[in-house]
Amino acid sequence: MALVDLLLVVGIIAGVYSLLAIGMNMHWGDTGLLNFAHAAFFAVGAYTSAILTTPPATGDLATRVVGFDFPILVGLLAGTALAGLVGVLIAITSVRLEGDYLAMVTLSSAELIRLMIHNEAWLTTGAQTLKNIPRPLSGMVSSGGTIPVSYDVFYFVLVWAIVGVCYLLFTRLSHSPFGRVLHAIRENDDVPLALGKNVTTFKLKSFGIGAAVAGLAGGLWAHYVYAISSIMFLPSITFLIWAAVIIGGAGSYAGAVLGASVIVFLRQITRFIPGDVPFGDQLAYIRLMLVGAVLILVLYYRPEGLLGDAERLQAGTSE
Amino acid sequence: MVLDPQLIWNGLVVGSIIAVSALGLTLIFGILNFINIAYGDYMAAGAYVAWAVNAQVGLPLGVAIVAGILTMSVGAVVLDKLVFQHFRSRSPITLLIVSIGLAFIIRNFIRAIWGPSGHFYDLPMEANPSFLGVRFSVEQVAIMVTSIVLLLGVYALLRRTRIGIAMRAASDDRMLSRIRGVDTEKLVLYVWLIGGAIAGLGGIMLGLDAQLRPNMGFTALIPIFAAVILGGIGDPKGAVAGGYTIGVIQEASVAIIPSEYKFGVGLLALIVGLLTRPDGLFGEATR
Repeated sequence: MALVDLLLVVGIIAGVYSLLAIGMNMHWGDTGLLNFAHAAFFAVGAYTSAILTTPPATGDLATRVVGFDFPILVGLLAGTALAGLVGVLIAITSVRLEGDYLAMVTLSSAELIRLMIHNEAWLTTGAQTLKNIPRPLSGMVSSGGTIPVSYDVFYFVLVWAIVGVCYLLFTRLSHSPFGRVLHAIRENDDVPLALGKNVTTFKLKSFGIGAAVAGLAGGLWAHYVYAISSIMFLPSITFLIWAAVIIGGAGSYAGAVLGASVIVFLRQITRFIPGDVPFGDQLAYIRLMLVGAVLILVLYYRPEGLLGDAERLQAGTSE
Repeated sequence: MVLDPQLIWNGLVVGSIIAVSALGLTLIFGILNFINIAYGDYMAAGAYVAWAVNAQVGLPLGVAIVAGILTMSVGAVVLDKLVFQHFRSRSPITLLIVSIGLAFIIRNFIRAIWGPSGHFYDLPMEANPSFLGVRFSVEQVAIMVTSIVLLLGVYALLRRTRIGIAMRAASDDRMLSRIRGVDTEKLVLYVWLIGGAIAGLGGIMLGLDAQLRPNMGFTALIPIFAAVILGGIGDPKGAVAGGYTIGVIQEASVAIIPSEYKFGVGLLALIVGLLTRPDGLFGEATR
């Protein structure tokens, strides 16, 4: 594969992960919420958009009954909205809980959602892959088509344009009165409460907004890879995004994007080392071990991350 | 509603595994004050080491089990010295995230060495006998018996020995126990030895009851956490009670809901428990 093609693919994945990290940063960096359910929001966005834009297959082995043929834009918007709603629902059960408990409840909720996706084959094709998800403008974008660039270039630009818009949106939100209340909540629940703010509502909104952008990421992902299955949405995705946000610097949206890009780069680039290198078979696992090691090292030597702010280090501690 | 005794039996077996594992986790939390996400992978590592000794090297299962337990017991101490010790002064959230990183490392180490597919222990295949209409297997009985022995042993340790009493004291109030002269650093060593051993045993039992997969520990972690938190985090008898409760409810639920969702039962129990009794079943959570 030519280097440029490789970089484009890695770049697209990095863009999707950056969106996930931006959402996570609203939860953790801005509001101090230990959300371990992010993979579920990603999945909800992906599956919603896929189901709404893909009619069910009609072969003998087809298990899915539900399917539509809406335009991709509808799918993406619906995916974003539904993910946000799911975020709020999960948050309702857990935002009043302290940090560690919030983490466990969100983690379990996410696994439950993944189980539902895995089992309800009539809706989601269950354990098999949901295939033939349409790619936006695929007819028009190709070397000979109306927009004469390769599809990957188009998608790269699309994803990163969306990342750019979200980055601007979220940083503005962070500096707005809404954002300031979130930061106050992050430091200590009691102060905003004493000032008369409905802390629970703010937490729910924060959860919902972060989840919605994760849903958008999911939709974009689904329409790029055009086939999804429940295995792609394991909790390890959530943990990778966590690693990204921490390494990049919690509290900083630029850090979130940087961290996500670093993690994706680390993982994808080692994919292309030739297979006859010693431990070639285990490279996939060694890559993930590396991520774990980098996370621990960053936490030790530079806990505020690459672009973070040392003050925000104290954020989110429940004591 | 007729409760099928087979389901209750299955629930008690699964409950034993959860109870034992939850006990280890809650002891670690009590002394060290953070949730160790890598605990599930300690369990998996213990199971895999035992499997390697049993199926790959060919030694009898008993030897393999001892090997697994000892490896994780020492392993937990080593990992503490290498990793957690350096973060002792940091917030519990930082430790949680560090444990996530460690969990990644251990889980993928297991995958790298033993591959991603499932394995079984090298056991003779026998027909499962039946007693009063309940089908049981030798492994299940072994799990129950071992669990009860272990739980009694830890109970005796915590109530009767100096170390045990010191552990309970430090778990309740670390500062106060240090003022009274308890060497909390030595306690940390003991808690990793015991907690690691329990994790290894829990993992082996899990592997005996079901199957060995690299993410087996992590998957089991959710009901185990549910048990720990339901029982009151830091409370050993709560963890055990929570473990059996969740085990039985989980297995009995198969009668009413599709069995793929039985893990959801643990989650529901957790949420209900946290919302109604945040200090745990016995009200003795130490946080």
